[in-house]
Amino acid sequence: MRKPSLGKVFLLCAFLALALALPLSAQKARLVFMTAGDVNMLALGQNVFSPGFTAKNPKISVMTIHTGPGDAGSQQIFEKLNAEKDAKRKVSDVDVALVHEIFMKWAMEKDLLQPYAKKAATSKYVTSPFAKRALGVNVEDYVMPLFHSQTALAYNPEFVKNPPKTYEELKAWVKANPGKFGYNGIKGGASGVSFVTGWVYAATGKYQKYAVTGPFDKAEVASWEPAFKELKEFNKSVVITGGNVGTLDALNRGEIWMGPVWVDMFFTFMNEGKLDPKTKLLLPEPGMPGQAMYFVIPKTAANPELSRKFIEYVTSPEVQARDIVQKFNWYPGIDGSFIKASIPQATFDKIYGDVTPADLVKKGLSFPLADYKLAIAEAYEKWAQ
Amino acid sequence: MGAVSSAALPRRGELRLPPYLPLLFPAVAFMLAMYGWPFLSSFYQSFSVAAREGALGLDNYAKAWELYRKDIAFTFAATILNTFLAGVVAVLFSVYFRLRQNRVSAILAALFKLPIFIPFVVVSQMMTSFLAPHGLLNIALAQLGLVDLERPLQLFNFAGLSFGFAWKQVPFAVLIIHGGFQMIDNSYIEAARSSGAGMLKVILRVLVPMNKSSIVAALVLVYSSIVGTFTLPYMIIGGKTPTTITVDIAHRVNYFRDFGVANALGVCSYVMVIFTAAYYLKSRIREARQEAAR
Repeated sequence: MRKPSLGKVFLLCAFLALALALPLSAQKARLVFMTAGDVNMLALGQNVFSPGFTAKNPKISVMTIHTGPGDAGSQQIFEKLNAEKDAKRKVSDVDVALVHEIFMKWAMEKDLLQPYAKKAATSKYVTSPFAKRALGVNVEDYVMPLFHSQTALAYNPEFVKNPPKTYEELKAWVKANPGKFGYNGIKGGASGVSFVTGWVYAATGKYQKYAVTGPFDKAEVASWEPAFKELKEFNKSVVITGGNVGTLDALNRGEIWMGPVWVDMFFTFMNEGKLDPKTKLLLPEPGMPGQAMYFVIPKTAANPELSRKFIEYVTSPEVQARDIVQKFNWYPGIDGSFIKASIPQATFDKIYGDVTPADLVKKGLSFPLADYKLAIAEAYEKWAQ
Repeated sequence: MGAVSSAALPRRGELRLPPYLPLLFPAVAFMLAMYGWPFLSSFYQSFSVAAREGALGLDNYAKAWELYRKDIAFTFAATILNTFLAGVVAVLFSVYFRLRQNRVSAILAALFKLPIFIPFVVVSQMMTSFLAPHGLLNIALAQLGLVDLERPLQLFNFAGLSFGFAWKQVPFAVLIIHGGFQMIDNSYIEAARSSGAGMLKVILRVLVPMNKSSIVAALVLVYSSIVGTFTLPYMIIGGKTPTTITVDIAHRVNYFRDFGVANALGVCSYVMVIFTAAYYLKSRIREARQEAAR
């Protein structure tokens, strides 16, 4: 008997491997889901979305990749997709990404994404203006919001019987109650940034120009000096806290009676017993900014239908109600009225009790265009410190 | 080290590669790639102006000066003062541990090692709840009737920062300084005492001078670590002004993606440590030479 040649053995092995692998790969498709955000976003992908989606679609597994918190995390996703484009890769490694608003400006400029939202079965539930514009960039059809997070003023009704309804009233209140309002400046987290942004909107009345229509106009920045000088005076009677959490802690300990907070953190703290349950929320006139996190599909995604399927799952009223609203305390990415049936009335009343859906529509503002956003932060350091 | 630098000199004009060069190469290459290059690149980027397509200029420094000069001064003051404080307290504790060797001092010395192993982020978290206006400290003082909770001690500032630094750094300094004191023979202390020196004189004229090198080493290490600390000032002082430059660097990077000004601020902190580092290295080399000469 002749010995089989090495080449033949190799061929046979390759064939066997292929025969084994084919049914396996037909059985299991893998979806790569890349997310920016804090570690809670990793937990959301790994422990909530992935098992939930695989339970419904046993042939698809979801792999969650986490980049990092804040805009820096979104920047890493942008750099990855942009590098793929520069290298002329035909198929992206990423199937779905979850990103912050600023990402949309970068990615739309470089044409890295594909439109999909209109084709998605769940798009009929999306009514938010955030699904159309992100920091002034037109993103319609390219995004579906996973959730909306909003900032608002939290206050302790025990000490604040008649809370201020506008930024103007707040100034008077702070003068009358020095040391009882606290926020975290602009270096300690975005609740303070949001408060300062609302201050600029209130002082200039130019929300439309700064956040919706644009364009960026350098002359505007110089006109903010009096507003920031006033904020400097205001700051003399307030407490600057150590961060988003610092404000909540100070509220809980009764050191301050009022301060801007992220609504989702507010409810999470309350559910965990870390915040006085009497504490209430309000959105002052003319409003404070919030932000959405978006699902996007890279232009060169391997299987856009599969990516869309995943997004449809996560933006379905059922998942939005159970995971986004009840588990993580965000406002849903889809219209709140569609989840009303899926969550207990008490939960619905709690999250929409102080700040009503109508308040959110009217006073849930957007952050300004990226250039204005940076200019506000720098103006703060220049004039308000 | 002294031996290395003298052997590196070419002898009688010969240009021969010293034989140990290949042995040194991996370590030196690693140091250059992992420390030297980032350092130089950060230095270079501090002069590269993003608004003018990376052209070189002093714009980043101008901006750093305009927006953060208070913070630079604050960082410098906080570092000097806290190093001095940690040094004095650590010397006092070390002297106590050296001169009173009983069970109490042994337990204290052991307890004192604990903070060294607690990470800064944990210390910071601890300090934020301990020092808060309605935190543990103020409530305890209020219970004793020393503080009015309506007007509590405000410690989320320089004072609280110093307390946090002292809590974390004094034990570290004690570890080094106490080690030095242990090396001093009892006979010196006894000799000084029998010649009529009081306790203060023994400390100032015998113990401290004889232990100068380890005190200096402790001070330099404490100083450099305070300059570079981020979490404690970030969590205690946060967005207040003035704050430390590490907080500003994080803000420039995270908020503006502005590496130019961040690096300019970084260079300021290099300048703050470079003199102490140079002094430390020089004294180390001198010691090594003296060792070799003996």
